[in-house]
Amino acid sequence: MAYMTTLRGFNCDDLFKFNNMRLFPYPLALQYGIPFYLQYLAHWPEYFVVAEAPGGELMGYIMGKAEGSVAREEWHGHVTALSVAPEFRRLGLAAKLMEMLEEISERKGGFFVDLFVRVSNQVAVNMYKQLGYSVYRTVIEYYSASNGEPDEDAYDMRKALSRDTEKKSIIPLPHPVRPEDIE
Amino acid sequence: MAARGHVQDPNDRRLRPIYDYLDNGNNKMAIQQAEKLLKKHRDLHCAKVLKAIGLQRTGKQDEAFTLAQEVAGLEPTDDNSLQALTILYREMHRPELVTKLYEAAVRKVPTSEEYHSHLFMAYARVGEYKKMQQAGMALYKIVPKNPYYFWSVMSLVMQAISAQDEKLSHTMFLPLAERMVEKMVKEEKIEAEAEVQLYFMILERLGKYAEALEVVRGQLGEKLTSELQSRENKCMFLYGRLEQWPECNALSRKLLLKNPDDWQFYLSYFDSLFNLIDQSWTPPEEGNHSAEGEVHCSVAQAIGFVEERLASEEVKETRPLRGPYLARLELISRLRQRGSPDEQQLGEPLELMFQYFVKFGDKPCCFTDLKVFLHLLSPDHYVQVAAFVNRLTEAVPLGPVGEDGVALPGDTRALQRHLGAAQLSRCLGLQHALSTDGKLALIHELRAHYRHGLQFGKEHVLWQCLGLLEEGLAHSPSNAQIKLLLLLLFCRLGAFEPVVDLYSSLDAKHVQHDTIGYLLTRYAESLGQFAAASQACNFSLRFFHSNQKDTSEYIIQAYKYGAFEKIPEFIAFRNRLNNSLHFAQVRTERMLLDLYLDADISSTLEESVKNMSLCPEEDDIPWDSLRDNRDLDVFVSWNPKLSKEHRQLSLEEESLWLRLRSLTLRLAGCLSGLCHSPQAPPPATPHAQRNAEKSAENGVASKPADMQPLLGQLERTLGQAAQFTDKHQQYPFLGPPPTRLPQALANGSCQCQLVALQLPLHVQELETSGLDQSAELQAQIANLFKSLTVQLQDMLNKCKGDLLEVTDGRCRAQPSLLENLVFFVETVCVVLWVSSHCSGTLRPLKSSLQKKKKKKKETSTVTVSTSWLVWDRCTRLQTLLSQAVEQIQDQESSLTALKLEALSLEGLPQAEVKDTFSCDERTFIKAAMDKVQSSYLRSLQEVGDLLRKRADTLKSLKI
Repeated sequence: MAYMTTLRGFNCDDLFKFNNMRLFPYPLALQYGIPFYLQYLAHWPEYFVVAEAPGGELMGYIMGKAEGSVAREEWHGHVTALSVAPEFRRLGLAAKLMEMLEEISERKGGFFVDLFVRVSNQVAVNMYKQLGYSVYRTVIEYYSASNGEPDEDAYDMRKALSRDTEKKSIIPLPHPVRPEDIE
Repeated sequence: MAARGHVQDPNDRRLRPIYDYLDNGNNKMAIQQAEKLLKKHRDLHCAKVLKAIGLQRTGKQDEAFTLAQEVAGLEPTDDNSLQALTILYREMHRPELVTKLYEAAVRKVPTSEEYHSHLFMAYARVGEYKKMQQAGMALYKIVPKNPYYFWSVMSLVMQAISAQDEKLSHTMFLPLAERMVEKMVKEEKIEAEAEVQLYFMILERLGKYAEALEVVRGQLGEKLTSELQSRENKCMFLYGRLEQWPECNALSRKLLLKNPDDWQFYLSYFDSLFNLIDQSWTPPEEGNHSAEGEVHCSVAQAIGFVEERLASEEVKETRPLRGPYLARLELISRLRQRGSPDEQQLGEPLELMFQYFVKFGDKPCCFTDLKVFLHLLSPDHYVQVAAFVNRLTEAVPLGPVGEDGVALPGDTRALQRHLGAAQLSRCLGLQHALSTDGKLALIHELRAHYRHGLQFGKEHVLWQCLGLLEEGLAHSPSNAQIKLLLLLLFCRLGAFEPVVDLYSSLDAKHVQHDTIGYLLTRYAESLGQFAAASQACNFSLRFFHSNQKDTSEYIIQAYKYGAFEKIPEFIAFRNRLNNSLHFAQVRTERMLLDLYLDADISSTLEESVKNMSLCPEEDDIPWDSLRDNRDLDVFVSWNPKLSKEHRQLSLEEESLWLRLRSLTLRLAGCLSGLCHSPQAPPPATPHAQRNAEKSAENGVASKPADMQPLLGQLERTLGQAAQFTDKHQQYPFLGPPPTRLPQALANGSCQCQLVALQLPLHVQELETSGLDQSAELQAQIANLFKSLTVQLQDMLNKCKGDLLEVTDGRCRAQPSLLENLVFFVETVCVVLWVSSHCSGTLRPLKSSLQKKKKKKKETSTVTVSTSWLVWDRCTRLQTLLSQAVEQIQDQESSLTALKLEALSLEGLPQAEVKDTFSCDERTFIKAAMDKVQSSYLRSLQEVGDLLRKRADTLKSLKI
């Protein structure tokens, strides 16, 4: 039976459905190699969720992990990838997927959720701001050059979870950091 | 490089530079350094292994293997050697040797947790489930940690999953696994969520749903927290299985109250509701309706429930959810299915769908949402459908009608509505000639119209279409859909050259090599672009081979992290790729291609076959479990989906063609095995070695006896293929591309190759019976040879003509000539291998005959005539090849001489072209034509080159 907006765990067979090049020019991309996806599936399956449309088309997916030291209050959820196919945009799907990842991180006792985004990707930065994220720091040349484009900086954006009652984790750093300085 | 042990160990210090060289890819220095070290410390085994890694990475597999086995034979127990050997074996694709290594290690150091755990993982890599079960328990006995115990349990589950005998799974493996978990439950030793997950997996597989429900709802179920709604989802699944409709309904209802957009729960809500109605279920007079709370068991309640959800959407200030609106349509659909008049209470479907369009029409998903419910409009009722589409169209806000009589949407939302209406109209079979100008975003629609024109085979539309798409690509250089369509059209036109760049710009990644790789591999070779064909196969093969190594690593990780449910999934994933139709195809085609291009040219057929470690007596294609992973919906289409029948037929056709190709390949392999060299050189790679070991078991080289059954299969398959093509299947234009099969049968290449491949058997027979007593046989051989040249001549005739034919200033492409030409070349290759083989067999016969003649002074007229005939045929073959080479040269020069700008577009007189097309359009069409022309030239060159080389080898062939 086909589901309209159904969230479920990502499985390997979904990898075969990624030619979602329908309607719009840009396909829902599989930007990483197979080993990368398998690693996440093996380690953090609960953080790897797809939204499915009628006929089994993939609407979008989110992929994340939990990491960091609990003792240093850096235990947190991390958004590794979030992608919504063009024809299913503007439905609030990204927000729903993010909400879910935050909820999982809450349950794991995380202090915050964080993600990296290209400084130039204003659309994404604004969306995350709307979802309650703020820029914690800038990471210099986090994205390496490709296809003739230069290196690019990333924003490390964070949202505090309920465990971080004083919202210490999101106090912005005054200076940018280099990629080798982050964990 | 992996762990280097403890820093204090002086050996580590000595080995460090070698590790560094290896890490930096400096293999030569690593080898040298290792040799230096070994001179001083002869017993430093690890240095030997590191040297072997260096050798392996510089292509010296044999030396590497020998060295590795030397160390492995000593059964080392030092970390460094073990880990280095593990890495080496993995790179050699021999993971089974790692198990031997650690079996020896745990024998010598029976209390090592580390070695036992390495042994478990080594078994996991090769899927030795029974041994894993034992290794897991052995570990648990040394160190009683829960994960080890459950590794062992999981290995039992894997034995159940992989067992051929389902009964054995259900009576032995799974119950044993269940008891093992129960023991831990009773002793209250369950610690982790993964353990409960595994318990659930076991009960589910056993069909013990009631027990599973008890676990999930009980104390153990509280551990299921990682996944959101994990418990609820599991309960829902179990209620369904147990047909506990009251609980199923109540839980669905509860979850929908929480999230009114989760479609799966509407479905379970309706499913359970109608089941309850059919059972005339009524709630108990007192107490709870069910363990999950309130139950709905009447249509009135359901209508009320859906309307409440709708009402709360209507008053919301934020964007409304689609779920409740679609739920109303779903409920109507279900009521109608049951013939219930109650549907009228919910409203008129046409009106409701129209309202949906008004609300959500600016979302691209509006089309996919409504598509599911279009049947409610009674599509046969044209008037109603037309009325619906009219209303939709009227609801699209378009600007004022322009000079050309077309009203255009003013913004993207309007544009989206316009698209949605057009798509729905198309889906409903109302083809509106909506023309649009200027808005390139509307190219989707234009494409659909052009494509529609294509189906009727008017070729001038094809050129126009190419031009339009080229134009589109110039404006939207990253539009994947335009690239795909261009790729498809160029392929169908027989021009593969531009396809290479188009495909690479699609940036296909990993699984996509499997799902859309067929677009490339179907055409490259058949259009005579052999270099590109090799490359295309290599792309795919590289992916498939790395998959095998990669997946094993993550199966191991899943054990480590306790993601037990992922283990069967990863294995299924690996199998799905290993059994891929495309994988089998590229494997086969790659080897055939190598033989066509090389065998008996730069090396003998025998050497070629050996180098690719082809093992003809073994069929390496998993016919019964072949998976068709092709994405046949990769092209946008608003037509009804590709039918199951077409999918099925296409798979059948692909399998038939693959079978023919694989049999041809294996027969060529047998032919080389039939050769007259008694001693084969040692195999080059471990893989070849394994094959050689296998073939040694089956008897040394191939014998005529191996060829006979393969020829029988080839004949039978040809029969089936002929039956299949008689049915004359036509797929939709954007559906699966047809295989080469119909043309191969039509131009006679299959039949010709069959005759050729039968010859060696007859000649072999001649060899055994001797020349004196075999007049009949000789006559038969002579006839076969004769018919071969006749057939080849016939095939060559079918390649005559210009690839771009120009008549009355109009240009028409004839790609089938090119394809026939490639079939001709392929067949020539087979015939020449066979001839070479036969002449090798006949030569000693003839010389022995001459000796006899000297003694007896008798002449056997028949024999002379046979030899003469064979020789004569070779001469004729030579003439034929020269003729073919000349023919290709002619085609090349006439193609080069063609001045395309002087041409008009076919179907349209010159003057009309000027009127019809703008300057831009003409430029793009011209560019597309140039690409086709250039591609044809390249194909002709590649085919011509190969033919010339073949003609040269023929000259050296004498009997």
